[in-house]
Amino acid sequence: MVRKIPKVIAGRNCDDPVLDHKDTEYLSKFLTPQGQIVSRRRSGFCTQCQRQLKKAVKRARHLALLPFVG
Amino acid sequence: MSQIYEGMFLLDNDVVREGYEGAKALVTSALDKHGATLLSVRRWGERRLAYPISGRRRATFLIAYYQIDGGEIPGLRREFDLSEKVLRYLFVSVDAVPEGEVELAQAEGASDFAVPEPPDDDALDPEPVPEGAEEGAGGEEASADGAEQASEETPSPAGEESSEEVSSEASESSEPSAPDESDETPEKQEA
Repeated sequence: MVRKIPKVIAGRNCDDPVLDHKDTEYLSKFLTPQGQIVSRRRSGFCTQCQRQLKKAVKRARHLALLPFVG
Repeated sequence: MSQIYEGMFLLDNDVVREGYEGAKALVTSALDKHGATLLSVRRWGERRLAYPISGRRRATFLIAYYQIDGGEIPGLRREFDLSEKVLRYLFVSVDAVPEGEVELAQAEGASDFAVPEPPDDDALDPEPVPEGAEEGAGGEEASADGAEQASEETPSPAGEESSEEVSSEASESSEPSAPDESDETPEKQEA
């Protein structure tokens, strides 16, 4: 059985500014239809950028800018 | 040691309808009370929430940049926790105020600046009314109508059944041929 490799969503330079929790349009690219944060394998981020993404999404969820589920 | 913070506040739209300046003063007065130096305060927008908070589906977002001693933050949090007019808040420490933020806040103070009226659909839908005697009669009518509709729609399932019967007959007719073929194959194998 051939395992399907997921498509990387977007490349990002680590020198770019820190991901902002107010930029919901960009953050929503890295959420599944259920509202889960996609894995590093799917997002294509390095470890530090994925941590930034996690923090930004959780802040946006707290402010009801992004959903927790759905 | 004082630090620059970015504060995002979700204000109840009912308070904003009474007057935007009054709603803004709720936040600024609380910040002043705890010794914060306000660098910029402006309306970030009015938008639909991703999930309801305190029975509200929409809220007005206010963004503020201020300098405050870190020891004052717990008191400030308590202030906004107790406030029912501030639905939610978030404090984030930043290195500096972003470019253009001060200009946007100053533009809000201009005489021609007007805050649009928040939409009315910020409240949750009312709970469904339990079925009463009158609604029960209506339900019977609806069920009677449904029965009529069902009787009218009966011909189409019948047509489907007939087609299913045809297909089943076809499958039955094809079944006997299969054993013949299977019978032939052993003979051929024997031969």
